[in-house]
Amino acid sequence: MKRGAAVLLTAALVAVSSAPTAAYLKLGTRVGTRTVTLKWTQFPIRYFVTDRGTTGVTSTQVQQAVQAAFSTWEAVPSATMSSQFVGFTLANPVRGDGATVLGFQSRPDLERTLGATSFIIDSTTGAVIESDIFFNTAFPWSVSAQGDTGFFDLQSIALHEIGHLLGLAHSAMGETELRAGGRRVIAAEAVMFPIAFSAGTILGRSLRADDIAGIGDIYPNATYTRNTGSISGKVTKSGTGVLGAHVIAFDLRTEKLVGGFSLTDDGSFVIAGLDPGPYAVRVEPLDDGDIESFFDATLNVDVNFRAQFYDKIVVVPKGGGTSGVELKVVAK
Amino acid sequence: MIRHTRMVRWLDVASFLVLLWSFFPAVATAQVYIGRDIPHRGNLEISGGAAWSGGYDLGSASAEETRNTGTGTGPFVLFSTDSEAEPSVGLQGRLGVFLASSVSIEGGVYVARPDISTRLSGDAESAPDLTATETLTRLVIDGSVLFHLTGASFGQGRGVPFVLGGGGYLRDAHEKNEVIETGHEVHVGGGLHYWFGQGKHRVGVRADAAVSWRTGGADGVDTTRTMPMVAGSIAYLF
Repeated sequence: MKRGAAVLLTAALVAVSSAPTAAYLKLGTRVGTRTVTLKWTQFPIRYFVTDRGTTGVTSTQVQQAVQAAFSTWEAVPSATMSSQFVGFTLANPVRGDGATVLGFQSRPDLERTLGATSFIIDSTTGAVIESDIFFNTAFPWSVSAQGDTGFFDLQSIALHEIGHLLGLAHSAMGETELRAGGRRVIAAEAVMFPIAFSAGTILGRSLRADDIAGIGDIYPNATYTRNTGSISGKVTKSGTGVLGAHVIAFDLRTEKLVGGFSLTDDGSFVIAGLDPGPYAVRVEPLDDGDIESFFDATLNVDVNFRAQFYDKIVVVPKGGGTSGVELKVVAK
Repeated sequence: MIRHTRMVRWLDVASFLVLLWSFFPAVATAQVYIGRDIPHRGNLEISGGAAWSGGYDLGSASAEETRNTGTGTGPFVLFSTDSEAEPSVGLQGRLGVFLASSVSIEGGVYVARPDISTRLSGDAESAPDLTATETLTRLVIDGSVLFHLTGASFGQGRGVPFVLGGGGYLRDAHEKNEVIETGHEVHVGGGLHYWFGQGKHRVGVRADAAVSWRTGGADGVDTTRTMPMVAGSIAYLF
């Protein structure tokens, strides 16, 4: 893996085995025998920024980059949430101090981790009580508007980590190649893809359709409920459900890509937050990242099948859903 | 001086109208449907038959991902699509009323089930190429004005060509009828009636050919599509 190319999520990833969830992956937590979506219930989300910079980036610039990233998520028309910068703090972004803190921290032990997000959650409701994000000073950082060659863009990484803070897990909307030392991103169409773009680029500052669908699913407002729809169905292989298949919905009119996963033993999937209209649907194995970046390692994710298209055009209604899409895959 | 000029202009207009009316020189009075002087104002025509509508291109698209720096140029294409609406045959019915022997207006309904197909190809992970389809239920409700070229009739007045133009409402229901998209259309064309018998009530056949410009519907975009339409009907005049 390319040094510094991985973004590690320290929160428990969704490992929903009892019910399908919508739009790629949302973070979840077990409450008794059920899994609930991890989300904030108190707004605005009040956060502090560690009063510490790193080479070439001051703490004020950190605060500005973080605020810009929060604003990007809050600008999604189909979602409603808000945040508030409370002030600078000398505290590190660590769990358990009762405050949500974002900032630089020296973690040379995490040689592939640019940043990470951790949570304290209410174990009865799944509501987030506290979340902390650190950006690893073991890497070179930049807040330049155009990006700096050889430096990672703080705002791009903050956008990804704040996506976790808000409850999103990793998206599989991207392609990678194996190189000496690990995987490198060839292309991605989601800020929540688990591996960052190369240093020097600011491509990660803009949300994609996949991210927008996901955040709307967690914090839906009237626009989301009224104006988007969903596709649901199953992925099966020889009549048996496939767990962990990546299903992609491609809007034939707008050319937007939104993905989801089959998240139950019977292969059920739901992709929500879709613009109304006709879609091409495609399924592929989860082979562009470590499975542990998406699912709990204990799950039996099936990657032994070929990518393929669905033989019908699927039309998504406004404010409703199209169900019964069965993708029958074959083993490699 | 001014009065004289006006008179000349009126004469010019009148001459033009006479010229226009006499464009078909066989004089309508000699061949307006054998036997009786119908159709005339107030006559009705009802017709029904089959209509073929041409297909049209719905365009191409690419499923693209943002390429990382240093991995090539241009967006990464996951796969490509090429969509089209297939030609279809549907049912058409019309009810018209004659305003004069050579002018009628009519309303029509056209129902068809055209297929939409999308060719999926060039997958980056070698998913086999495939054509995905869906079937629409298309309804067009339209109105037209017909000019019957009685001066150009033939077969002792049994065959009468006409030209028409009009517009209407387009409604496309996708499969399962959960999504309905509407639009509008305009059309111009021409055709031919051929009437049998000589009675007051007559049966005939009717052939239409038109060009239709459609906007909206299952296209979902404001692009106007041009397509040919050909129809054959049984007609009843009374």
